Amino acid sequence: MKKSTRRVAFSASLVLAATGVVGISLPVAHAATVNLTMVAADYPGDGKTQQAQWDGLSKAFAAANPGITMTVNVVSWDVIDDKVKTLIATGKTPDIVNKGDYSAPAAAGLLYKASEMVSASTLADIVPTFLNNSMYNGTAYAVPDLASARALFYNKDILKKAGVTKLPTTYDELITVLSKIKAKNPGVYGYAVPMGPEEAQAEFAIWAGGNGGRMYDYTAKKWTINSPANIGAMTFLKKLNDLKYIEPNPAKCDRTACAQTLFAAGKAAFINGSVFLPAWLKANGGAGINLGSGAFVHGPGQEAVTLGVQDYFTAYKANGHQAEIQKFMDFLYQPANYADFLTAAGGFIPATKSAGAVAAKDPALAPFIALLPKAIFYPGDIATFPAVKGALQTSVGLAITGNPTKVLGDIQKKALAAK
Amino acid sequence: MATGSIRRGRFGALPWIGPAVVLILVMVVWPAIEMIRTSLHEIDQTGIAKGWNGISNYRTLIHNPDLPQTLVRTLIWVSVVVSLTVLISLPVAQILHGKFPGRKVVRYSIIIPWAASVVMTATIWRWILDGFYGILNRILQDVGVLKDPIDWLGNPNSAFVFLMVVAIFVSVPFTTYVILAGLTTVPEDILEASSIDGANGWKRYKEITFPLLRSALLVSAVINLINVFNSFPIIWAMTGGGPGYSTDTTTTLAYKISFRDQDIGQSAAMATVNFAIILIFISIFLKVSKWRETSE
Repeated sequence: MKKSTRRVAFSASLVLAATGVVGISLPVAHAATVNLTMVAADYPGDGKTQQAQWDGLSKAFAAANPGITMTVNVVSWDVIDDKVKTLIATGKTPDIVNKGDYSAPAAAGLLYKASEMVSASTLADIVPTFLNNSMYNGTAYAVPDLASARALFYNKDILKKAGVTKLPTTYDELITVLSKIKAKNPGVYGYAVPMGPEEAQAEFAIWAGGNGGRMYDYTAKKWTINSPANIGAMTFLKKLNDLKYIEPNPAKCDRTACAQTLFAAGKAAFINGSVFLPAWLKANGGAGINLGSGAFVHGPGQEAVTLGVQDYFTAYKANGHQAEIQKFMDFLYQPANYADFLTAAGGFIPATKSAGAVAAKDPALAPFIALLPKAIFYPGDIATFPAVKGALQTSVGLAITGNPTKVLGDIQKKALAAK
Repeated sequence: MATGSIRRGRFGALPWIGPAVVLILVMVVWPAIEMIRTSLHEIDQTGIAKGWNGISNYRTLIHNPDLPQTLVRTLIWVSVVVSLTVLISLPVAQILHGKFPGRKVVRYSIIIPWAASVVMTATIWRWILDGFYGILNRILQDVGVLKDPIDWLGNPNSAFVFLMVVAIFVSVPFTTYVILAGLTTVPEDILEASSIDGANGWKRYKEITFPLLRSALLVSAVINLINVFNSFPIIWAMTGGGPGYSTDTTTTLAYKISFRDQDIGQSAAMATVNFAIILIFISIFLKVSKWRETSE
């Protein structure tokens, strides 16, 4: 009863609004408009927010699909998880979310399957590696939006001044190189290690991975945050810290405001950067940096790895808008629209085969795309990953300045207790 | 007939107190009930309630390894910030009470830290204290006090001291004004009479002014207790409770449990405990101050 009265009132007000604007009376037939809502994380792009791109796309979508409107709320990366969680907990679940994880809502049964989110032809265009990283219990519950890979970036001028001609590949070589850099470049940190809350989990995964360590053991189905390999990697970083080869207080150093900013100011020789770092530097005062890139160092007897990170679109069942969601997602993945999205996001690796074919010809992206098949990814398909990620963000940096065994042990305890 | 007139009497009062009652019910009582209810529920990491959970969330909270040190830190935080705020505000209010040229300007300028958004103030302080670009290091290095820059917010101890400094900085204006209001109620004739009787300035303050300020002090102390205990933005904007958990109070810990550890149930338990702590704080405080009143 209540609902229908509200709907009548709503239609009435729509008619009033329509007549008010157009000056003639319209039939009530189109009053049952579905308003889709989406919360999207804001990719760095060229220093501008993505709101304009999403608003443009929403407008074009609404024009092509009468009866559906689209509202996109663009939120910065450091609050997107909190925002979505709050919306869900307060019963205001959005239809679509664009962010870095999906496993918890998938495990809770809140999500449409990937095959329900997009049409079969769109799904067939998604790069299989990325779709495989979107599974929960063997079913894809998210559609990858884009991906990035990490590489070792360095400041060529600083290395040249220190007389370094060859990139380090092992722990020992890195120590030698950093000592040369420290001797010849006063006021410059050898390696910027962002272990602050913003993205400590990425930095941890890279260093641990280079020492043969992983966050999760898929065979034993168990978190392995405090494995000997991981403790070894953090102990090595602790050594760099003791030698003052890295910036002070790495546990407080966030990726953007601290590490990348130091690098952009020419105050750090090395940084573990993402594929978008060159674009970010240009937009943030680091255009003059003589930039080089290469592979990460690795521990004794290990291999160099890269970290692949992909993000996701997820669709929530709460509002029952499956058909409309699919229309929007298919619209978004149309090559022209998807290209706009990639441009606005700035310098990432596309998640579709069609856009990937174009990107493979881009000299800036090609080396990263080649790295991806060997990349390690977060255990994003494990339901408790968000909690583990949060625990890593809060305290893993303290392993470098404190006791690695104890700090990783405490995080492991939290990981095992998470449910 | 008699009941009818009583009812009319009740309705007569309702329009007056009604809005206030509704406001308290909606803004205070309902959220508090909701918080306690949440703390007794199992909430999954996405934020969906899974049903009643008894005191299980409280059990998890008690075993949280970061809780004991956070409780101790919260106690230090509240007692140091509130007592220093009152101690600093007393002489400041006294100065503002006196007559001097430019008093109006000084009075207004004292309001600024209070009027400015706390997040803004805290963010400015964070950059003043920054280890790489902060102006404090710059000044100390230029005058030769420091050789190398210090990351003031990177070290847990110095970070916590500066958090308290900023908390005092934003609390002093309000407290000063409450005390100033109290000072204006001290009757001039008594002060005059006492000076005729030969009491000097300090004695006048100690024997007459200060005792008459009791109610103003009480009000400002209680409001500061609540404000400082619940203070989230200063800590969050300046250190995020970090590095690690080293500058968290129970308020920021509740947030971290919810949004980093993804445990809303435990976080609600923490919030409920916070609620209980502040109630206990205030009742102890009021009791102590009342006891003083009757003993004199």
